[in-house]
Amino acid sequence: MPASLAPAESRDGDRVEAVPLETRAPESPAEDPDDFDRLKTILFGDERGTLEALDARVEKVEAAQHDLPSRLPGAIERAQQGIGAARMSKALARPVTDALASAVGQNRQLIVDVLFPVIGPAIRKAIAEALRNLVADLNGAIESSLTPRGIRWRIEAWRSGAPYAEVVLRHTLKYGIDHVFLIERDSGLVLDRESAPHLPELDADAIAGMLTAIGAFVRDSVGRDGSGTLDSARVGEHLLWVVQGPRANLACFIHGVPPANLHAVLEQRLEAIHAALAGDGDVADQATRQSLQPDVLMRDARTDATPAAKSRWPVYAIVLIVVALAAWFLAQRLRDSAWIEEVRTSLAAHPGFVLTRIERAGGALTAHGLLDPDAEPLDAAAIAGARARMPLKLDTLGYVSTDDAIVARRARRLLDAPASVTIDVRGGALALGGHADGAWIVHAQDKAAWVPGVGSVAFNMASDTDAAALRARGEIERLVGDIGFRRVAFVRDTELADSAAAALDALASDMTRVEALAQEAGATVVAWTAIGTNDDPGTDSINARLRAARARWLADALLARGLANVHADAGNAGAAIQSERAAFVRPDITWAKP
Amino acid sequence: MTAHAHKLCMLGDFGVGKTSLVARFVHSTFSEKYLTTVGVKVDSKEVALPGRATMKLVVWDIAGRSQLDSLNMTYLRGASALLLVADGTRERSLHAALNLLMQSRTLLPDAVVALAVNKLDLVEQWEVAPAALEELRRTLPVHETSARSGAGVEAAFADIATRLAE
Repeated sequence: MPASLAPAESRDGDRVEAVPLETRAPESPAEDPDDFDRLKTILFGDERGTLEALDARVEKVEAAQHDLPSRLPGAIERAQQGIGAARMSKALARPVTDALASAVGQNRQLIVDVLFPVIGPAIRKAIAEALRNLVADLNGAIESSLTPRGIRWRIEAWRSGAPYAEVVLRHTLKYGIDHVFLIERDSGLVLDRESAPHLPELDADAIAGMLTAIGAFVRDSVGRDGSGTLDSARVGEHLLWVVQGPRANLACFIHGVPPANLHAVLEQRLEAIHAALAGDGDVADQATRQSLQPDVLMRDARTDATPAAKSRWPVYAIVLIVVALAAWFLAQRLRDSAWIEEVRTSLAAHPGFVLTRIERAGGALTAHGLLDPDAEPLDAAAIAGARARMPLKLDTLGYVSTDDAIVARRARRLLDAPASVTIDVRGGALALGGHADGAWIVHAQDKAAWVPGVGSVAFNMASDTDAAALRARGEIERLVGDIGFRRVAFVRDTELADSAAAALDALASDMTRVEALAQEAGATVVAWTAIGTNDDPGTDSINARLRAARARWLADALLARGLANVHADAGNAGAAIQSERAAFVRPDITWAKP
Repeated sequence: MTAHAHKLCMLGDFGVGKTSLVARFVHSTFSEKYLTTVGVKVDSKEVALPGRATMKLVVWDIAGRSQLDSLNMTYLRGASALLLVADGTRERSLHAALNLLMQSRTLLPDAVVALAVNKLDLVEQWEVAPAALEELRRTLPVHETSARSGAGVEAAFADIATRLAE
């Protein structure tokens, strides 16, 4: 049964809507599902098929979207092939860039970690390359250290006060001039420009204009008094120098480390350009324009031309003054040395003096040495002489000289030689000549060999006395020496010891012989004094009495043996000899001639 | 000196379209950020003149403002020409351009001057009356330009170049 629409009234009765009849016949066959489908087919007809087709397409699209993640990589890979590659790259450039920027902002460390394997080798490679260049430069510098160029660099280091290594690096490090702009100061227009070959073309007018504008901006911003200028700027290894002039500026774009004198060369160029600038601001001189070429500027900077030439005269003057001072100092030193050598020679020639050291200190010369007491005293003023360069001081210590002249002086002093005696010493051999009293000759024969420095003695003298008297006198002196050692010993008081008798006999015999020789030897008076001694124990009074008693005993015993002129000491002479219980004799002989 | 180079300064209030006119006229070397930092951006363009040697215009695009300060006056030094720019939709920008001209005349009494009334593509919104422009044309060359469409831009610069070459 075909569906039909029946009018329906609303409750208010003035609006009518069409409603399906089935809604008003619930018991109709339309409640069957098949009938419902048929009804929908009747109602929607072709639209239903369209809806089903759309539904199928939606399902297909959803399925495609669901598989998109798995199919997208392949799609991108396919897009990279063929003519679509450029389009894909262009399409992805912006989102990928934005995504990378966002990732850097949100997770910087992750980006660093990811890029580290790439950046690390690149950095190492760059550092290694830079070090290789530096080592090459240093090798060149070391190889050239003894060349004229190396010597010139050393002079430059000395002049400028910079370390030699810095000067070497300044000259050897690679640098280059990329562009040179001559810019009108007011307008910023390019008057002339020169660029190194093989550099890409650039808008020189725009660059010069911006440079002028930035210079004005910097001057206006930083130079509060309006006098400041933008003279240089550095970005990395690129350097910009702006040399200011009254009408034009010279801008030099440099890479690397330029030498300092390049700036002076640029200043000189700018001065020359100002001199050549015509009234319309043109650079008329072709030679001046060529002088701005980078290779010409670098060549002139290497040759270290005019700026150094201006500053060489002061250097020459300083060098001349230094050389003159050095020459004067050297001359003074030579004169001092010559005078010191003269002093050394004079001191060395002085008998009895040995120079050990000579030194300059405190503006004076001090000579240290050894001086024999028998030598002539040193006269510092005489030694220094009239050409003395400084005060001379002498510092001497005593010593015994073996110099022949000094030994002769010493022998004369020690032997108390009269003027009639000649003394000669050669090689330590003492030769006595002339004439003297016999007694002195005997004395000299006994003492001469003991004079320090004397190795042997030779007498060639004439005696003022006869030979018999000399012999007698010599024997007397020998006997007197023996008598002095003879002792008559006592056991106690004046009780004689066993040896006393023999000692008394020998003593009396020597004394008798002396008295017998006295006249022949020229002795006018011979007297004897008997002296008693005691040992330590006992009081002074007892010991004095014992000494007197023993002296008296010996004097009596000698008188009894025929000796005359024997006196007994009262006891005082032996007081100092308290060593033994004895008595002895002390002779007292007076000679007719000394 | 670079052959036939002349310095041309762009003057006008903020937003009148100076930078857009320059961008339409030249291929820029520098970023526009210099306008907000240094206050100026410099470009250059060679202009071919009929029957004459090629001329290079060095265009100083000075950041827009209605008054010239000392730094702007420094930027004007040595300029051979001024291109005043006004926005046709803002009559006040025309007054500002004329005011800038008066200020710059003290420094550049002999400079070649032209006025570009910009935004011709919005001519239906113009506040500047045609009568006013006609009055201005009696004292200085006036060009109606559109940086968006490019209309009148080349002509304005060519006019200045021609007058500079005379």
